[in-house]
Amino acid sequence: MTPVYLQRGALQCALGDTLASASLALSQGVHPQGQAFLLHELQQPRTYLHVAGNAEDFDARMDRLLSETLGHGHSALDDCLLIVASTSLDITELEAQASAQGHFLPDNSTSLDRVAEQLRERWGFADAFTLNTACTSAANGLLYGARLLAGGQFSRAVVIAFETPSALAMQGFGALDLLSPSGDYRPFHPQRDGLVLGETYAAALLALQPGDAPLARLLGGFSACDTTSLTTTREDGSHIDWVMQQALRSADRSASEVALVKLHGTATQANDHAEANGMLSLYGENMPALCVLKPWLGHTLGACGVSETLLLMHALQQATLPGLEYATDASLPLSGEPIALAEDALVLANFFGFGGNNATLVMQCCAAGEPQ
Amino acid sequence: MNVIAASEIRGSSGVSDKDLKAALSQWLSTPPRRIDRLIFQALLAAAAIKQHVRRDCGLYLASRHPARPTMIALLEAVCAHHKQPKPFEFVNSVSNAAGFHVAQQLGLDGPNLFIGAGPRVWSQLLGLARTDLADGVVSQALLIVVDEQEGFCVQGVLVEGDGVAAGGFDELVSGVAVERLDLNVTL
Repeated sequence: MTPVYLQRGALQCALGDTLASASLALSQGVHPQGQAFLLHELQQPRTYLHVAGNAEDFDARMDRLLSETLGHGHSALDDCLLIVASTSLDITELEAQASAQGHFLPDNSTSLDRVAEQLRERWGFADAFTLNTACTSAANGLLYGARLLAGGQFSRAVVIAFETPSALAMQGFGALDLLSPSGDYRPFHPQRDGLVLGETYAAALLALQPGDAPLARLLGGFSACDTTSLTTTREDGSHIDWVMQQALRSADRSASEVALVKLHGTATQANDHAEANGMLSLYGENMPALCVLKPWLGHTLGACGVSETLLLMHALQQATLPGLEYATDASLPLSGEPIALAEDALVLANFFGFGGNNATLVMQCCAAGEPQ
Repeated sequence: MNVIAASEIRGSSGVSDKDLKAALSQWLSTPPRRIDRLIFQALLAAAAIKQHVRRDCGLYLASRHPARPTMIALLEAVCAHHKQPKPFEFVNSVSNAAGFHVAQQLGLDGPNLFIGAGPRVWSQLLGLARTDLADGVVSQALLIVVDEQEGFCVQGVLVEGDGVAAGGFDELVSGVAVERLDLNVTL
Protein backbone atom coordinates (compact mmCIF):
# COMPACT_ATOMS: atom_id res chain seq x y z
CA MET A 1 0.00 0.00 0.00
CA THR A 2 1.18 3.52 -0.69
CA PRO A 3 1.93 5.09 2.72
CA VAL A 4 -0.40 7.88 3.78
CA TYR A 5 0.07 10.40 6.57
CA LEU A 6 -2.30 11.17 9.39
CA GLN A 7 -1.62 14.85 9.02
CA ARG A 8 -3.88 16.20 11.72
CA GLY A 9 -6.57 15.05 14.11
CA ALA A 10 -9.13 16.18 16.62
CA LEU A 11 -10.65 14.24 19.49
CA GLN A 12 -13.35 14.76 22.08
CA CYS A 13 -13.66 11.89 24.54
CA ALA A 14 -14.07 11.05 28.20
CA LEU A 15 -10.44 11.97 28.87
CA GLY A 16 -10.68 15.48 27.45
CA ASP A 17 -12.37 17.65 24.86
CA THR A 18 -9.23 18.13 22.80
CA LEU A 19 -6.68 15.64 21.51
CA ALA A 20 -3.89 17.33 23.46
CA SER A 21 -5.78 17.31 26.77
CA ALA A 22 -6.90 13.70 26.31
CA SER A 23 -3.39 12.62 25.38
CA LEU A 24 -1.91 14.39 28.40
CA ALA A 25 -4.48 12.78 30.71
CA LEU A 26 -3.69 9.37 29.23
CA SER A 27 0.06 9.80 29.67
CA GLN A 28 -0.55 10.75 33.31
CA GLY A 29 -2.66 7.62 33.77
CA VAL A 30 -5.79 9.61 34.67
CA HIS A 31 -8.96 7.50 34.44
CA PRO A 32 -12.22 9.17 33.42
CA GLN A 33 -15.22 9.20 35.74
CA GLY A 34 -18.16 7.22 34.45
CA GLN A 35 -21.83 7.94 34.98
CA ALA A 36 -24.38 5.29 35.88
CA PHE A 37 -27.47 4.46 33.86
CA LEU A 38 -30.08 1.78 34.49
CA LEU A 39 -30.82 -1.18 32.26
CA HIS A 40 -34.52 -1.18 31.43
CA GLU A 41 -36.63 -3.83 33.20
CA LEU A 42 -33.64 -5.22 35.13
CA GLN A 43 -33.06 -1.84 36.81
CA GLN A 44 -29.39 -2.71 37.19
CA PRO A 45 -26.79 0.06 36.97
CA ARG A 46 -24.15 0.14 34.27
CA THR A 47 -21.46 2.71 33.54
CA TYR A 48 -21.14 5.09 30.60
CA LEU A 49 -18.20 7.39 29.82
CA HIS A 50 -19.50 10.71 28.52
CA VAL A 51 -17.36 13.25 26.70
CA ALA A 52 -15.61 15.68 29.01
CA GLY A 53 -16.52 19.35 28.80
CA ASN A 54 -19.71 21.18 28.08
CA ALA A 55 -22.70 19.76 26.23
CA GLU A 56 -22.74 20.89 22.64
CA ASP A 57 -25.18 20.71 19.74
CA PHE A 58 -24.36 17.84 17.33
CA ASP A 59 -23.83 20.08 14.31
CA ALA A 60 -21.64 22.42 16.37
CA ARG A 61 -19.53 19.44 17.46
CA MET A 62 -19.12 18.25 13.88
CA ASP A 63 -18.13 21.74 12.75
CA ARG A 64 -15.66 22.17 15.62
CA LEU A 65 -14.09 18.80 14.85
CA LEU A 66 -13.70 19.63 11.19
CA SER A 67 -12.32 23.11 11.95
CA GLU A 68 -9.72 21.66 14.31
CA THR A 69 -8.83 18.86 11.91
CA LEU A 70 -8.50 21.00 8.81
CA GLY A 71 -6.79 23.89 10.59
CA HIS A 72 -7.30 27.61 10.26
CA GLY A 73 -7.36 28.99 6.74
CA HIS A 74 -7.69 25.58 5.12
CA SER A 75 -8.12 25.50 1.38
CA ALA A 76 -11.34 24.58 -0.45
CA LEU A 77 -12.34 20.96 0.04
CA ASP A 78 -13.12 20.15 -3.60
CA ASP A 79 -10.20 17.70 -3.59
CA CYS A 80 -11.13 16.10 -0.28
CA LEU A 81 -13.18 12.98 0.45
CA LEU A 82 -15.22 12.78 3.65
CA ILE A 83 -15.90 9.40 5.24
CA VAL A 84 -18.37 9.31 8.14
CA ALA A 85 -17.70 6.32 10.38
CA SER A 86 -20.27 5.73 13.09
CA THR A 87 -22.78 3.17 14.25
CA SER A 88 -24.96 5.77 15.96
CA LEU A 89 -25.22 8.42 13.22
CA ASP A 90 -28.38 10.44 14.03
CA ILE A 91 -29.88 7.83 16.36
CA THR A 92 -30.12 10.08 19.43
CA GLU A 93 -32.38 12.40 17.44
CA LEU A 94 -34.57 9.45 16.42
CA GLU A 95 -34.60 8.19 19.99
CA ALA A 96 -35.85 11.57 21.21
CA GLN A 97 -38.56 11.49 18.55
CA ALA A 98 -39.70 7.98 19.52
CA SER A 99 -39.68 8.94 23.17
CA ALA A 100 -41.73 12.09 22.60
CA GLN A 101 -44.23 10.45 20.24
CA GLY A 102 -44.55 7.16 22.09
CA HIS A 103 -44.04 5.37 18.78
CA PHE A 104 -41.88 5.51 15.65
CA LEU A 105 -43.25 5.59 12.12
CA PRO A 106 -41.56 4.38 8.93
CA ASP A 107 -41.57 7.94 7.60
CA ASN A 108 -39.60 9.07 10.67
CA SER A 109 -36.68 6.95 9.47
CA THR A 110 -33.77 8.93 8.03
CA SER A 111 -31.36 7.85 5.34
CA LEU A 112 -28.01 6.37 6.32
CA ASP A 113 -26.12 8.97 4.29
CA ARG A 114 -27.91 11.93 5.91
CA VAL A 115 -25.05 13.16 8.14
CA ALA A 116 -22.44 12.62 5.41
CA GLU A 117 -24.50 14.48 2.84
CA GLN A 118 -25.25 17.37 5.20
CA LEU A 119 -21.55 17.78 6.02
CA ARG A 120 -20.61 17.54 2.35
CA GLU A 121 -23.04 20.29 1.44
CA ARG A 122 -22.11 22.50 4.41
CA TRP A 123 -18.36 22.17 4.01
CA GLY A 124 -17.97 21.62 0.25
CA PHE A 125 -16.29 18.20 0.29
CA ALA A 126 -15.71 16.65 -3.13
CA ASP A 127 -17.57 13.52 -2.06
CA ALA A 128 -18.84 11.94 1.15
CA PHE A 129 -20.23 8.64 2.30
CA THR A 130 -21.11 6.78 5.49
CA LEU A 131 -19.06 3.67 6.22
CA ASN A 132 -20.60 1.33 8.76
CA THR A 133 -18.93 -1.96 9.60
CA ALA A 134 -19.80 -1.92 13.32
CA CYS A 135 -16.74 -1.48 15.54
CA THR A 136 -14.33 -1.52 12.60
CA SER A 137 -16.09 1.40 10.86
CA ALA A 138 -13.46 4.03 11.59
CA ALA A 139 -10.52 1.66 11.12
CA ASN A 140 -11.93 0.80 7.70
CA GLY A 141 -12.47 4.52 7.12
CA LEU A 142 -8.75 5.15 7.67
CA LEU A 143 -7.71 2.13 5.61
CA TYR A 144 -9.96 2.71 2.60
CA GLY A 145 -9.63 6.50 2.83
CA ALA A 146 -5.87 6.06 2.56
CA ARG A 147 -6.13 3.60 -0.33
CA LEU A 148 -8.57 5.82 -2.23
CA LEU A 149 -5.99 8.63 -2.00
CA ALA A 150 -3.41 6.36 -3.58
CA GLY A 151 -5.86 5.79 -6.43
CA GLY A 152 -5.59 9.48 -7.28
CA GLN A 153 -9.26 10.43 -7.21
CA PHE A 154 -8.78 12.66 -4.16
CA SER A 155 -5.73 14.39 -2.72
CA ARG A 156 -7.02 14.48 0.87
CA ALA A 157 -9.50 12.53 2.97
CA VAL A 158 -11.14 13.29 6.29
CA VAL A 159 -12.47 10.42 8.38
CA ILE A 160 -14.93 11.73 10.94
CA ALA A 161 -15.95 9.18 13.55
CA PHE A 162 -18.34 9.47 16.45
CA GLU A 163 -20.54 7.59 18.86
CA THR A 164 -23.27 9.49 20.65
CA PRO A 165 -24.75 8.33 23.98
CA SER A 166 -27.39 6.17 22.37
CA ALA A 167 -30.05 4.47 24.52
CA LEU A 168 -30.29 1.73 21.89
CA ALA A 169 -26.59 0.94 22.23
CA MET A 170 -26.66 1.05 26.03
CA GLN A 171 -29.76 -1.12 26.33
CA GLY A 172 -28.82 -3.35 23.40
CA PHE A 173 -25.39 -4.29 24.73
CA GLY A 174 -27.07 -4.68 28.11
CA ALA A 175 -29.57 -7.11 26.62
CA LEU A 176 -26.66 -9.12 25.22
CA ASP A 177 -25.17 -9.16 28.74
CA LEU A 178 -21.94 -7.63 27.46
CA LEU A 179 -21.77 -4.56 29.75
CA SER A 180 -19.57 -4.58 32.82
CA PRO A 181 -21.63 -4.72 36.06
CA SER A 182 -18.63 -3.53 38.06
CA GLY A 183 -17.85 -0.62 35.72
CA ASP A 184 -14.20 -1.61 36.09
CA TYR A 185 -12.96 -1.82 32.50
CA ARG A 186 -10.23 -4.45 32.46
CA PRO A 187 -9.46 -6.05 29.06
CA PHE A 188 -7.54 -9.33 29.35
CA HIS A 189 -8.02 -9.51 33.13
CA PRO A 190 -9.05 -13.01 34.27
CA GLN A 191 -12.03 -11.51 36.13
CA ARG A 192 -13.03 -9.09 33.37
CA ASP A 193 -16.78 -8.64 33.30
CA GLY A 194 -17.54 -6.87 30.06
CA LEU A 195 -17.29 -3.55 28.36
CA VAL A 196 -17.99 0.05 29.28
CA LEU A 197 -19.37 2.18 26.47
CA GLY A 198 -17.89 5.59 25.72
CA GLU A 199 -18.96 8.71 23.83
CA THR A 200 -16.55 10.23 21.37
CA TYR A 201 -16.21 12.61 18.43
CA ALA A 202 -13.00 12.33 16.42
CA ALA A 203 -11.62 13.21 13.02
CA ALA A 204 -8.40 12.55 11.12
CA LEU A 205 -7.01 14.21 8.01
CA LEU A 206 -5.21 11.84 5.61
CA ALA A 207 -2.87 12.95 2.84
CA LEU A 208 0.02 11.61 0.81
CA GLN A 209 2.24 14.45 2.07
CA PRO A 210 3.28 14.70 5.74
CA GLY A 211 2.17 18.30 6.33
CA ASP A 212 3.69 20.37 9.15
CA ALA A 213 3.23 17.98 12.05
CA PRO A 214 2.06 14.50 11.09
CA LEU A 215 0.81 12.23 13.83
CA ALA A 216 1.68 8.97 12.07
CA ARG A 217 2.24 7.25 8.77
CA LEU A 218 -0.29 4.59 7.78
CA LEU A 219 1.73 1.94 5.99
CA GLY A 220 -0.88 -0.72 5.42
CA GLY A 221 -3.81 -2.63 6.76
CA PHE A 222 -6.31 -5.33 6.08
CA SER A 223 -9.97 -5.90 6.79
CA ALA A 224 -11.99 -9.06 6.31
CA CYS A 225 -15.11 -10.86 7.40
CA ASP A 226 -15.04 -13.89 9.67
CA THR A 227 -18.28 -15.69 8.89
CA THR A 228 -18.16 -17.91 11.97
CA SER A 229 -20.60 -15.83 14.01
CA LEU A 230 -22.33 -12.47 13.75
CA THR A 231 -21.20 -11.45 17.24
CA THR A 232 -17.90 -13.23 17.89
CA THR A 233 -14.83 -14.14 15.93
CA ARG A 234 -13.21 -17.59 15.82
CA GLU A 235 -12.23 -18.55 19.34
CA ASP A 236 -8.90 -20.01 18.21
CA GLY A 237 -7.85 -16.58 16.94
CA SER A 238 -7.01 -17.93 13.50
CA HIS A 239 -8.97 -15.24 11.62
CA ILE A 240 -7.40 -12.47 13.72
CA ASP A 241 -3.96 -13.96 13.10
CA TRP A 242 -4.65 -14.08 9.35
CA VAL A 243 -5.88 -10.47 9.28
CA MET A 244 -2.78 -9.24 11.16
CA GLN A 245 -0.54 -11.16 8.75
CA GLN A 246 -2.31 -9.74 5.71
CA ALA A 247 -2.05 -6.23 7.16
CA LEU A 248 1.71 -6.66 7.65
CA ARG A 249 2.03 -8.03 4.13
CA SER A 250 0.24 -5.01 2.70
CA ALA A 251 2.76 -2.78 4.52
CA ASP A 252 5.67 -4.96 3.38
CA ARG A 253 6.70 -5.42 7.02
CA SER A 254 7.17 -8.44 9.26
CA ALA A 255 5.73 -9.18 12.69
CA SER A 256 9.21 -9.01 14.24
CA GLU A 257 9.56 -5.35 13.21
CA VAL A 258 6.52 -4.32 15.26
CA ALA A 259 7.38 -2.43 18.47
CA LEU A 260 3.86 -2.18 19.89
CA VAL A 261 0.49 -3.84 19.33
CA LYS A 262 -2.59 -1.83 20.31
CA LEU A 263 -5.04 -4.61 21.13
CA HIS A 264 -8.75 -4.30 20.49
CA GLY A 265 -9.42 -5.60 24.01
CA THR A 266 -13.17 -5.30 24.56
CA ALA A 267 -13.00 -7.13 27.92
CA THR A 268 -15.73 -9.52 26.85
CA GLN A 269 -14.87 -13.13 27.60
CA ALA A 270 -14.99 -14.43 24.04
CA ASN A 271 -13.29 -11.63 22.15
CA ASP A 272 -10.35 -11.17 24.50
CA HIS A 273 -9.85 -14.93 24.42
CA ALA A 274 -9.86 -14.96 20.61
CA GLU A 275 -7.51 -11.98 20.37
CA ALA A 276 -5.12 -13.55 22.89
CA ASN A 277 -5.08 -16.71 20.77
CA GLY A 278 -4.50 -14.67 17.63
CA MET A 279 -1.53 -12.94 19.26
CA LEU A 280 -0.12 -16.26 20.44
CA SER A 281 -0.45 -17.67 16.92
CA LEU A 282 1.39 -14.72 15.39
CA TYR A 283 4.07 -14.22 18.05
CA GLY A 284 4.22 -17.23 20.30
CA GLU A 285 5.67 -16.17 23.65
CA ASN A 286 7.89 -13.43 22.19
CA MET A 287 5.47 -10.57 21.87
CA PRO A 288 6.26 -6.90 21.35
CA ALA A 289 4.97 -4.32 23.82
CA LEU A 290 1.17 -4.49 24.16
CA CYS A 291 -1.36 -1.88 25.15
CA VAL A 292 -5.11 -1.36 25.48
CA LEU A 293 -6.90 1.98 25.39
CA LYS A 294 -10.52 1.17 26.19
CA PRO A 295 -10.04 1.55 29.98
CA TRP A 296 -9.39 5.24 29.27
CA LEU A 297 -11.85 5.88 26.44
CA GLY A 298 -14.53 3.30 26.98
CA HIS A 299 -15.54 1.23 23.99
CA THR A 300 -16.27 3.90 21.42
CA LEU A 301 -17.73 1.29 19.04
CA GLY A 302 -17.64 2.35 15.38
CA ALA A 303 -15.45 5.34 16.16
CA CYS A 304 -12.67 3.47 17.97
CA GLY A 305 -10.56 3.17 14.82
CA VAL A 306 -10.03 6.93 14.82
CA SER A 307 -10.41 7.77 18.53
CA GLU A 308 -7.92 5.11 19.64
CA THR A 309 -5.51 5.70 16.76
CA LEU A 310 -5.33 9.45 17.39
CA LEU A 311 -4.95 9.05 21.14
CA LEU A 312 -2.33 6.33 20.74
CA MET A 313 -0.16 8.08 18.17
CA HIS A 314 -0.40 11.50 19.84
CA ALA A 315 0.46 10.09 23.27
CA LEU A 316 3.43 8.15 21.86
CA GLN A 317 4.62 11.26 20.04
CA GLN A 318 4.34 13.59 23.01
CA ALA A 319 5.20 11.38 25.95
CA THR A 320 4.44 7.81 26.95
CA LEU A 321 1.56 5.39 27.33
CA PRO A 322 0.67 4.58 30.94
CA GLY A 323 1.36 1.16 32.39
CA LEU A 324 -1.61 -1.00 33.24
CA GLU A 325 -2.28 -1.44 36.98
CA TYR A 326 -3.31 -5.08 36.63
CA ALA A 327 -0.67 -6.05 34.05
CA THR A 328 0.76 -8.88 36.12
CA ASP A 329 -2.67 -10.56 36.26
CA ALA A 330 -3.52 -10.14 32.57
CA SER A 331 -3.76 -13.08 30.18
CA LEU A 332 -1.40 -11.32 27.76
CA PRO A 333 1.93 -9.69 28.72
CA LEU A 334 0.60 -6.13 28.89
CA SER A 335 3.04 -3.60 30.26
CA GLY A 336 2.81 -2.44 33.87
CA GLU A 337 5.37 0.25 33.14
CA PRO A 338 4.97 3.34 30.93
CA ILE A 339 5.65 2.60 27.25
CA ALA A 340 7.90 4.86 25.18
CA LEU A 341 8.83 4.05 21.59
CA ALA A 342 11.46 5.18 19.11
CA GLU A 343 10.47 8.09 16.88
CA ASP A 344 9.95 5.84 13.86
CA ALA A 345 8.65 2.75 15.66
CA LEU A 346 6.16 0.41 14.00
CA VAL A 347 2.74 -0.01 15.61
CA LEU A 348 0.04 -2.58 14.86
CA ALA A 349 -3.51 -1.67 15.84
CA ASN A 350 -6.38 -4.18 16.03
CA PHE A 351 -10.06 -3.40 15.66
CA PHE A 352 -12.77 -6.06 15.63
CA GLY A 353 -16.51 -5.86 15.40
CA PHE A 354 -19.92 -7.43 15.05
CA GLY A 355 -20.73 -8.72 11.61
CA GLY A 356 -17.49 -10.71 11.62
CA ASN A 357 -15.42 -7.67 10.72
CA ASN A 358 -11.79 -7.86 11.78
CA ALA A 359 -9.32 -5.13 10.81
CA THR A 360 -5.68 -4.34 11.52
CA LEU A 361 -3.76 -1.16 10.72
CA VAL A 362 0.03 -0.91 10.41
CA MET A 363 1.39 2.51 11.35
CA GLN A 364 4.71 4.18 11.91
CA CYS A 365 5.29 6.85 14.53
CA CYS A 366 6.40 10.28 13.35
CA ALA A 367 8.64 12.67 15.25
CA ALA A 368 6.80 15.41 17.13
CA GLY A 369 6.39 18.58 15.14
CA GLU A 370 4.62 21.79 15.89
CA PRO A 371 1.84 21.40 18.45
CA GLN A 372 -1.58 20.98 16.87
CA MET B 1 -13.42 -3.80 -14.92
CA ASN B 2 -15.76 -6.39 -16.45
CA VAL B 3 -19.29 -7.12 -15.33
CA ILE B 4 -19.68 -10.89 -14.96
CA ALA B 5 -23.27 -11.13 -13.72
CA ALA B 6 -26.04 -8.93 -12.39
CA SER B 7 -29.35 -9.20 -10.59
CA GLU B 8 -32.32 -7.00 -9.92
CA ILE B 9 -35.14 -7.81 -7.48
CA ARG B 10 -38.14 -5.53 -7.25
CA GLY B 11 -41.18 -5.65 -5.04
CA SER B 12 -43.98 -3.57 -3.62
CA SER B 13 -44.26 -2.53 0.00
CA GLY B 14 -46.87 -5.29 0.40
CA VAL B 15 -44.26 -8.01 -0.10
CA SER B 16 -43.78 -9.56 3.33
CA ASP B 17 -40.62 -11.02 4.85
CA LYS B 18 -42.30 -14.42 4.41
CA ASP B 19 -42.60 -13.71 0.67
CA LEU B 20 -38.93 -12.74 0.59
CA LYS B 21 -37.99 -15.95 2.36
CA ALA B 22 -40.04 -18.00 -0.11
CA ALA B 23 -38.35 -16.26 -3.03
CA LEU B 24 -34.95 -16.84 -1.51
CA SER B 25 -35.58 -20.56 -1.18
CA GLN B 26 -35.21 -21.01 -4.96
CA TRP B 27 -31.51 -20.16 -4.58
CA LEU B 28 -30.70 -21.01 -0.96
CA SER B 29 -31.78 -24.30 0.58
CA THR B 30 -31.20 -23.22 4.19
CA PRO B 31 -31.42 -19.46 4.58
CA PRO B 32 -30.40 -18.09 7.98
CA ARG B 33 -33.02 -17.82 10.72
CA ARG B 34 -34.22 -14.72 12.56
CA ILE B 35 -33.06 -12.28 9.93
CA ASP B 36 -34.70 -9.00 9.00
CA ARG B 37 -35.94 -7.42 5.80
CA LEU B 38 -32.68 -5.76 4.77
CA ILE B 39 -30.82 -9.05 5.19
CA PHE B 40 -33.42 -10.92 3.10
CA GLN B 41 -33.18 -8.29 0.36
CA ALA B 42 -29.37 -8.33 0.23
CA LEU B 43 -29.38 -12.13 0.22
CA LEU B 44 -31.79 -12.20 -2.72
CA ALA B 45 -29.57 -10.04 -4.92
CA ALA B 46 -26.49 -12.09 -4.01
CA ALA B 47 -28.07 -15.54 -4.18
CA ALA B 48 -29.49 -14.87 -7.65
CA ILE B 49 -25.96 -14.76 -9.09
CA LYS B 50 -24.12 -16.90 -6.56
CA GLN B 51 -23.04 -19.48 -9.11
CA HIS B 52 -20.65 -16.90 -10.58
CA VAL B 53 -19.10 -15.85 -7.25
CA ARG B 54 -15.65 -17.11 -6.26
CA ARG B 55 -14.49 -17.44 -2.67
CA ASP B 56 -12.01 -14.58 -2.94
CA CYS B 57 -14.72 -12.09 -3.79
CA GLY B 58 -15.09 -8.85 -1.82
CA LEU B 59 -18.54 -7.64 -0.81
CA TYR B 60 -19.50 -3.96 -1.10
CA LEU B 61 -23.03 -3.42 0.12
CA ALA B 62 -25.09 -0.26 0.40
CA SER B 63 -28.56 0.60 1.63
CA ARG B 64 -30.41 3.89 1.70
CA HIS B 65 -32.06 3.05 5.04
CA PRO B 66 -31.61 0.54 7.84
CA ALA B 67 -34.25 -2.19 8.03
CA ARG B 68 -37.16 0.00 9.09
CA PRO B 69 -39.20 -2.73 10.87
CA THR B 70 -36.16 -3.58 12.99
CA MET B 71 -35.47 0.04 13.86
CA ILE B 72 -39.12 0.68 14.70
CA ALA B 73 -39.22 -2.36 16.98
CA LEU B 74 -36.02 -1.29 18.74
CA LEU B 75 -36.90 2.38 19.11
CA GLU B 76 -40.38 1.66 20.40
CA ALA B 77 -39.18 -1.03 22.83
CA VAL B 78 -36.34 1.06 24.27
CA CYS B 79 -37.53 4.66 23.99
CA ALA B 80 -41.32 4.43 24.15
CA HIS B 81 -41.91 1.36 26.33
CA HIS B 82 -38.62 1.33 28.31
CA LYS B 83 -38.12 -2.36 27.62
CA GLN B 84 -34.93 -4.21 26.85
CA PRO B 85 -34.53 -4.77 23.12
CA LYS B 86 -34.72 -8.30 21.77
CA PRO B 87 -31.10 -9.45 21.34
CA PHE B 88 -31.60 -10.73 17.77
CA GLU B 89 -33.21 -7.43 16.74
CA PHE B 90 -30.34 -5.45 18.25
CA VAL B 91 -27.77 -7.62 16.48
CA ASN B 92 -29.66 -7.41 13.17
CA SER B 93 -29.69 -3.62 13.49
CA VAL B 94 -25.93 -3.55 12.96
CA SER B 95 -25.73 -2.28 9.39
CA ASN B 96 -23.19 -4.85 8.31
CA ALA B 97 -25.32 -7.76 9.55
CA ALA B 98 -26.65 -8.09 5.99
CA GLY B 99 -23.10 -8.26 4.64
CA PHE B 100 -22.21 -10.90 7.20
CA HIS B 101 -25.09 -13.15 6.13
CA VAL B 102 -24.32 -12.70 2.43
CA ALA B 103 -20.68 -13.58 3.08
CA GLN B 104 -21.63 -16.59 5.20
CA GLN B 105 -24.07 -17.95 2.62
CA LEU B 106 -21.69 -17.45 -0.29
CA GLY B 107 -18.56 -18.53 1.60
CA LEU B 108 -16.76 -15.19 1.25
CA ASP B 109 -14.02 -14.44 3.76
CA GLY B 110 -12.53 -11.29 2.27
CA PRO B 111 -13.32 -7.59 2.64
CA ASN B 112 -16.93 -6.84 3.54
CA LEU B 113 -17.96 -3.18 3.58
CA PHE B 114 -21.28 -1.44 4.12
CA ILE B 115 -22.02 2.17 3.17
CA GLY B 116 -25.08 4.39 3.27
CA ALA B 117 -26.59 4.63 -0.20
CA GLY B 118 -26.83 8.22 -1.39
CA PRO B 119 -26.95 9.86 -4.81
CA ARG B 120 -23.45 8.67 -5.82
CA VAL B 121 -23.65 5.19 -4.36
CA TRP B 122 -22.54 3.24 -7.45
CA SER B 123 -19.41 5.35 -8.01
CA GLN B 124 -18.59 5.03 -4.29
CA LEU B 125 -19.00 1.25 -4.27
CA LEU B 126 -16.98 0.96 -7.47
CA GLY B 127 -14.24 3.13 -5.95
CA LEU B 128 -13.98 0.92 -2.88
CA ALA B 129 -14.05 -2.27 -4.92
CA ARG B 130 -11.44 -0.91 -7.32
CA THR B 131 -8.94 -0.42 -4.48
CA ASP B 132 -9.20 -4.08 -3.52
CA LEU B 133 -9.24 -5.39 -7.10
CA ALA B 134 -6.28 -3.24 -8.16
CA ASP B 135 -4.20 -4.31 -5.15
CA GLY B 136 -5.01 -7.98 -5.72
CA VAL B 137 -6.80 -8.28 -2.37
CA VAL B 138 -9.75 -9.87 -4.18
CA SER B 139 -10.28 -11.24 -7.69
CA GLN B 140 -13.96 -10.33 -7.85
CA ALA B 141 -16.21 -7.71 -6.25
CA LEU B 142 -19.90 -8.11 -5.55
CA LEU B 143 -21.69 -4.77 -5.36
CA ILE B 144 -25.22 -4.65 -3.93
CA VAL B 145 -27.51 -1.64 -3.48
CA VAL B 146 -30.74 -1.93 -1.48
CA ASP B 147 -33.33 0.82 -1.77
CA GLU B 148 -36.74 0.61 -0.15
CA GLN B 149 -39.05 3.59 -0.16
CA GLU B 150 -42.56 3.02 -1.57
CA GLY B 151 -41.57 -0.38 -2.91
CA PHE B 152 -38.10 -1.86 -2.95
CA CYS B 153 -35.38 -2.44 -5.51
CA VAL B 154 -32.23 -4.46 -4.89
CA GLN B 155 -29.51 -4.53 -7.51
CA GLY B 156 -26.41 -6.67 -7.57
CA VAL B 157 -23.40 -6.48 -9.88
CA LEU B 158 -20.46 -8.87 -9.91
CA VAL B 159 -17.28 -7.39 -11.41
CA GLU B 160 -13.67 -8.39 -11.96
CA GLY B 161 -10.55 -6.78 -13.38
CA ASP B 162 -8.87 -3.57 -12.29
CA GLY B 163 -9.91 -1.12 -14.97
CA VAL B 164 -12.24 1.79 -14.44
CA ALA B 165 -15.99 1.35 -14.63
CA ALA B 166 -18.46 4.15 -14.18
CA GLY B 167 -22.14 4.91 -14.22
CA GLY B 168 -25.12 3.58 -12.38
CA PHE B 169 -26.63 0.11 -12.49
CA ASP B 170 -28.16 0.51 -15.97
CA GLU B 171 -24.87 1.63 -17.53
CA LEU B 172 -22.89 -1.06 -15.74
CA VAL B 173 -25.11 -3.93 -16.86
CA SER B 174 -25.57 -2.77 -20.44
CA GLY B 175 -25.12 -5.86 -22.62
CA VAL B 176 -25.19 -8.22 -19.63
CA ALA B 177 -27.99 -10.72 -18.94
CA VAL B 178 -29.55 -9.57 -15.67
CA GLU B 179 -31.20 -12.12 -13.37
CA ARG B 180 -34.49 -10.39 -12.59
CA LEU B 181 -37.25 -11.14 -10.13
CA ASP B 182 -40.45 -9.16 -9.73
CA LEU B 183 -42.22 -9.73 -6.44
CA ASN B 184 -44.90 -7.09 -6.81
CA VAL B 185 -48.03 -7.86 -4.86
CA THR B 186 -51.29 -6.66 -6.37
CA LEU B 187 -53.63 -5.51 -3.63
